[in-house]
Amino acid sequence: MTHILSWTIWLPIAAAFLLALFPRSAANTIKILGLFVSLATFVISLAMVQQFQEGIAAFQLVESMSWIPQWGIRYALGVDGISLWLVLLTTLLTPVVFLSSWNAIHKHPKEYVISFLIMEAAMIGVFVATDLVLFYVFFELTLLPMYLVIGVWGGAYRIYAAIKFFLFTVTGSLLMLLGIIYLGFLQFHQTGVWSFAITDFYGLGLPPHTQSILFGAFALAFAIKVPLFPLHTWLPDAHVEAPTGGSIILAGVMLKMGTYGFLRFVLPFFPDATAKYGPLIIALAVIGVIYGALVSWVQPDMKKLVAYSSVSHLGFCVLGIFAINQTAIEGSILQMVNHGLSTGALFLLVGVVYERRHTRMLADYGGIARTMPLYATFFVIAVLSSVGLPGLNGFVGEFLILAGSFKTQPVWTVVATTGVILAAIYLLWLVQRVFFGPIVNDENRHIPDIAWNEVAAMVPLVVLMVWIGVHPNTFLRKMAPSVEQLIATVERGRESGKAMLAKTPARRSPLAARLAEARQ
Amino acid sequence: MTLHPLIEPGWVNAILPELVLCVGGLLLMLLGAFGARLRGITAPLALIVFIVTAWSEKLVLAGTFFGGTYEISGITRIFDITFLLSAILATLFAREYLEREGIEGGEFYALLMWATVGMMMMAKGLDLLIVILGLELLSICIFVLVGYHRRIPVSNEASLKYFLMGAFATGFILYGTALFYGATRSTNFTEMARAFSTADPNNVLLSIAFVLLMSGLGFKLAAAPFHGWAPDVYQGAPSPIAGWLSVAPKAATLIALVRLLSAMLPMLQFSLWMKMIAALSVLSMVIGNAAAIAQRDLKRMLAYSGIAHVGYMLIALLSLRDDSVAAIAVYTITYALMNIGAFGVVSTLAKNQNDPQTLDDIAGLGFRSPFSGLALTVCMFSLSGLPPTAGFIAKFYIFKTAVDSGHLAIAIVGILTSIVSVYYYLRVVYYLYMKEPAEGYAIVPAGGIFATGALAITMIGIFVIGLFPTPLFAMAGAAARALLP
Repeated sequence: MTHILSWTIWLPIAAAFLLALFPRSAANTIKILGLFVSLATFVISLAMVQQFQEGIAAFQLVESMSWIPQWGIRYALGVDGISLWLVLLTTLLTPVVFLSSWNAIHKHPKEYVISFLIMEAAMIGVFVATDLVLFYVFFELTLLPMYLVIGVWGGAYRIYAAIKFFLFTVTGSLLMLLGIIYLGFLQFHQTGVWSFAITDFYGLGLPPHTQSILFGAFALAFAIKVPLFPLHTWLPDAHVEAPTGGSIILAGVMLKMGTYGFLRFVLPFFPDATAKYGPLIIALAVIGVIYGALVSWVQPDMKKLVAYSSVSHLGFCVLGIFAINQTAIEGSILQMVNHGLSTGALFLLVGVVYERRHTRMLADYGGIARTMPLYATFFVIAVLSSVGLPGLNGFVGEFLILAGSFKTQPVWTVVATTGVILAAIYLLWLVQRVFFGPIVNDENRHIPDIAWNEVAAMVPLVVLMVWIGVHPNTFLRKMAPSVEQLIATVERGRESGKAMLAKTPARRSPLAARLAEARQ
Repeated sequence: MTLHPLIEPGWVNAILPELVLCVGGLLLMLLGAFGARLRGITAPLALIVFIVTAWSEKLVLAGTFFGGTYEISGITRIFDITFLLSAILATLFAREYLEREGIEGGEFYALLMWATVGMMMMAKGLDLLIVILGLELLSICIFVLVGYHRRIPVSNEASLKYFLMGAFATGFILYGTALFYGATRSTNFTEMARAFSTADPNNVLLSIAFVLLMSGLGFKLAAAPFHGWAPDVYQGAPSPIAGWLSVAPKAATLIALVRLLSAMLPMLQFSLWMKMIAALSVLSMVIGNAAAIAQRDLKRMLAYSGIAHVGYMLIALLSLRDDSVAAIAVYTITYALMNIGAFGVVSTLAKNQNDPQTLDDIAGLGFRSPFSGLALTVCMFSLSGLPPTAGFIAKFYIFKTAVDSGHLAIAIVGILTSIVSVYYYLRVVYYLYMKEPAEGYAIVPAGGIFATGALAITMIGIFVIGLFPTPLFAMAGAAARALLP
């Protein structure tokens, strides 16, 4: 099968257009078709993993077509060790969403399925685009479906949450757009040819001042997306108001678009600025780890608790990325997948009881392990994965991040480690308060246990949690060469930056030179 | 000064599109007067006339005519197509709108045709006087078209407002032209350019002339601070006309401005004139976007957003290079599709036209009438410049020219105001899909096959330009290179 990456993007989009033609009344057919298409996409992405060759650092399964030749923009796709598992995570979580919301969506099911299919395509596009403008197009395309998902199918304050989510993200990404244009212009100025291919920006040797400005434009967009403290305020609102499916995708995949952006663009494009401002980002990430954990601790609302735990967990990922060391970055990528699995599972499970009881308050539950034994089992597994119990996936990711970061950022790493302890406290406390103890509330005596569709959604997640926990090498092996190459690119960039600085201390930026030229 | 023989061989060919439109307009007037029963077919006939005109563009040979005062080239062809596209969309939306309001008549389409002739003259004129003639022909048609809903007070008010202020603006333009004529001894762009190349940049008279001319043209563009009329006029005008008015005359004024400014190029580099245009651009972006937030009336909101969009287009004017002219051409075509489309959806809302068409009228429309809802959503996303729509490509082009030519600061203003604009465009989508209509108050769009067709054209156009902009870029780029050697 050729053009395998294009298939994963265009199959859901084509299906979405097809489904748009179906009558509203055919809700069941639409749901089945949506699930079928998302499963087919998952199978295609498995074929992608199978065709992916180990030991190669560069982009694989590459596709490249001219798109806007006047500006050198190409429809260029490729997957490497950094993006491979994120694509798989996306294609896995989409059918999980459809399964979990099988009976939960009563309002406009057709539009719901269409939104998620388009979102899936756009998210895959974000991870596999190897052209900066194409990446931006997909990055923005994820916004509208998520806006609609939160705004149409969300909770009581959904409108506020949806608009806040959209405006926060768009603020960052529009400034990044200007950064992209400026970067393209600088690239053109150096080489005389317009191109937005990602690899063409590696080793561009930008002057430190320019790097700082562009670093700001890119880092802001990704910091909002991750989200880094103090830009995280949209996240709890969006998560709490979004329907279960929206939360799963938002936490599971969309936040990773931010960490992925740091890894793919910010680090290799602006190595000097990364060295300069990296400590700042790390500080914010670690503050996020602690702050997120502390706020989670005091949440009376289960969903809000899980939402803030995302802020905490993503802080680890960012710490690992900016530690710039093989172990930490590998751990960080793995942790992105882990967080997608465990937090996705937690949101799904919170949605399950919300469906049945229409409350998410911890105080309303207690002792439901007796009424819902199967549900309790799944929940405890997901919590333990999130806490980082050895043998499950979370442990591997966090351990690698902390072990790697300790080499370059010992102080911050020690501080961040307390986040692991705090996570154990608030998550286990959550389990205790919801599942154990006496049944105080009589309504909790007759909650039906987890249903077939929810089990079907949970099983693959649990399997992967155990798999990554027991044998992480399946996953780490494939990402290692790409991470090595990334670190080499960053270090090469730094050295050439130093050399350039030593040679011509007062080098003007190309734009300033051009302006001076124009004035003459 | 030598007098040129005005009638040159091939002149019929040169103004063939204009002739077709003039004759077509006259025939429609006659039809309206004598064939009252034929009213139903006036709109289809008008469409045929517009399409024949578009086809006749192919027969026209490039060159200059009428003693070097009239130029046919690639860029005029692109702008002619933009004018015709706007007119066709306006006609499609007007067909059912006028019928519903009971004000159908052949003269409506005739005026639209003659206004198009005026705009074509503005785009092709190489002489300031030709441009002014075109502008006046256009303005007179607009006065009538804005007040076409003659039994409705807001429509009359809008027409009178536009007439009074437009008369002032024309006065300014004529005064500026007179001063320029005094300074350069010509109104011909080529000869003006020659005079400008040796003129003193600190000449006060020239600066006054420039300010007068820019005030008048700024009025026609609805650029801040000359934008005061736009919200009132758009609100009162029949909705299909408001859409057309927000696009086509602006495009014509912009291309005339490009010619005028490229004649002044040597002056622009030394004087404050470029800074004035930059100020117009920044003011338009800031005022337009900020004021649009406060609007609940859809047409007023679109009017303010239109002011902001003029600001974006003026960014490209700051660097008069082939790339920026191409960017303006791409932007105007894109803007024609998305803005007339948005006004078109508003025009299908069947309600008393004297009342404002507010956001509440479209509450829940996205599920009540999926096609209209989708069309309005697409237009809103294109207007806010998000991919994969044409609006993104057009904005990208504008900002790229700004970065290329070192206007980074103004590009940042553009981006920041774009962020503001996302809020109010998004609010429309919010009303479409997330707001429940008030009890017993659910307006269903009354669009028939014509309006639906027009919306389909705009949506297809927005996505085609958004996904495959290459042919348009190639055409606009070649035309712009020919314009600015």
